[in-house]
Formats: sequence, C-alpha cells, structure tokens
Amino acid sequence: MYFLYLCIMNEDFFNKWVSQLKKGTLSFVVLRILSDGREYYGYDLINEVKQKTEIEIAEGTLYPLMNRLKEEQLVASKWVEQGSGIPRKYYTITSSGMKTVQAMTGYWENLNKTINSI
Amino acid sequence: MQFKEITFTDSNAQRIYTDYINRVRTTVKVLGKENQQEVLLEINSHIYEGTIANPEGKPEVDQLLDVLEKLGQPELFLKPLVADKQLDEAVKTFHPLKIAKALILNIGNGVSYVVFSLLYLFLFSFLFLIIAKLVNPEKVGLFYHPDHVFILGMYTDANGISYAQYERLGGWFIPLMAISAAVLYILLTVSLRLKRKLSATIRK
Repeated sequence: MYFLYLCIMNEDFFNKWVSQLKKGTLSFVVLRILSDGREYYGYDLINEVKQKTEIEIAEGTLYPLMNRLKEEQLVASKWVEQGSGIPRKYYTITSSGMKTVQAMTGYWENLNKTINSI
Repeated sequence: MQFKEITFTDSNAQRIYTDYINRVRTTVKVLGKENQQEVLLEINSHIYEGTIANPEGKPEVDQLLDVLEKLGQPELFLKPLVADKQLDEAVKTFHPLKIAKALILNIGNGVSYVVFSLLYLFLFSFLFLIIAKLVNPEKVGLFYHPDHVFILGMYTDANGISYAQYERLGGWFIPLMAISAAVLYILLTVSLRLKRKLSATIRK
C-alpha cells in the first residue's frame, strides 16, 4: 500500500502548479498574440488564446489583465462604433509592449533551454 | 459612447441578461461614472459578441447562459479591476473614504499597501489626542523640560507627579494636532500616488 502511494503522481500538486503557470503566463500569451500587429477586441482575443493555446481561461479574467497591461502602457485601446449599436473596444500592442514581449520571449526560450538541459 | 441594452427575442434570456448586467452595475458602483461606463460597455460587448457567435445554433437562452458561465461571476472577476481603478480614483481626489475603501481592496496586493494602511490608521492618533485634550486638558499636551521630561500625548499621574507646569503648547495643541494630521494625510496620499506612478515606470 505504501509503495503504491509513492508511485502515484501527486495530482493535486500538479494541478495547482499548472493553474499557477497558466495564470502567470497569460499576460505573455496575450502580448504574443497582439505582437502580430493586428487589432483585437476582448471576445476575439479570448478566442485567439483558446485557439492558439490549450489554456482554458475564465474569460472574465482577461478584462482586469487588459486594464493592467494598459496601465503599464504595454497595450493601447480605442472604442469603435458598430452597426449593431454595441461598440467594440479594440486593443493594440504599443512599441513598449513590443519590446517587452521580445524580452519576455528571450527569457522564456532561455528558461526552456535550461530546464531541458537539467 | 452610450450603453445600449442587448435585446433578446426570448423573454427569459432578456431577464437573465438584465440580471447579469445589474450585477455588473452593482460591482462597479464604487467607481466614478466614466470608469463604470467603460467596464459596463466592455462586458456588454463581450456578451453581445458571444451570443451572436452561435455556430451550433443553440437556443438563445442556452447560448447566453454559456457565455455568462464562461465569463464568470462579475463580483469575482471584476474585483482586481475595481480595486485598481478605485485606488487610482482615490489618490486623485484625496477623498478619505475612497482611499480607505481602495486600500482595503488592495491590501492583498503587496506589503506596501499594508504599510500605507497602517500609516493612515496612525492619523487617528491625532484625532484621539484632540478628543483627549478636550476631555482631560491637564494631562494631554506637549510636556517638555530639558533632561527631565518629553511627552507628546497623555500621561498618567500614578506616582502623583504632575507635569502640568511643563506644558508648552496650551491652546495651540488642538490646532497643531489638526494641522499635523492634515499635513500627514496629504503627504501620505501624495506618496501613495507617487508609488503608483513609480511602480508603473519601473515595470516599463
């Protein structure tokens, strides 16, 4: 019984780790998506995150994140009127955001190499 | 930019939507009008985009419920956004109640907010001294005599010693405490404002 306990993966610990990792990398993922230079509105951006990654985010959490990125001047936003009368808020990456995401990418690649070499 | 309500053909969908939007309104009520409108417009836009993107052709109510479920509870997911915006608004207006509320919301966001909260609480000691002076004018004040006594506040004469003759401020004590509290309040609020700006600059 004790042997069996030792062999089973600690799923709880693993799940917590995955959840922290997803939470920690969400801003990086969003900036990477925006770095293609296109304009995205919130709902659109969430779909991109879902399509390009396997991250299942609580969609509402994107909005506080976008507000934080805007405060940091990594992204800019503008409201665009729509024919439906329900405007969209479009986000674009700023030049500071572009430089930051490049630095983040470099760091991520290094970290990946280091972990793989262990 | 004006808020436009989404209209649903199904009356149940309309009720669910209205209830959700009201929850968003209540959550952001503590913010200024402009910020309230900004959040409301963005959540409304998300709901609209989500409900019109219905590839499986689900009934209106089911599609709306899916969108709202994925979005989450507004009271929870909007909490960090409200905390952030509220603190920015508070330090701009110097409004004590707004600052107190914003600090409570941000207390889990770093040690510095705990320190600021404690320093703001320290302001109450001035208020306490003003009230104490009114109640017990003999034993409250600035008592000073070189190499003998220095007390700013209240003393008890348990040993039967009185320092009343060393009181230096007299009638000026209350106005000076009030001015000190006001100056400290302004200094703290300006520092909090600078801290917010500085953190953003350092992170850039």
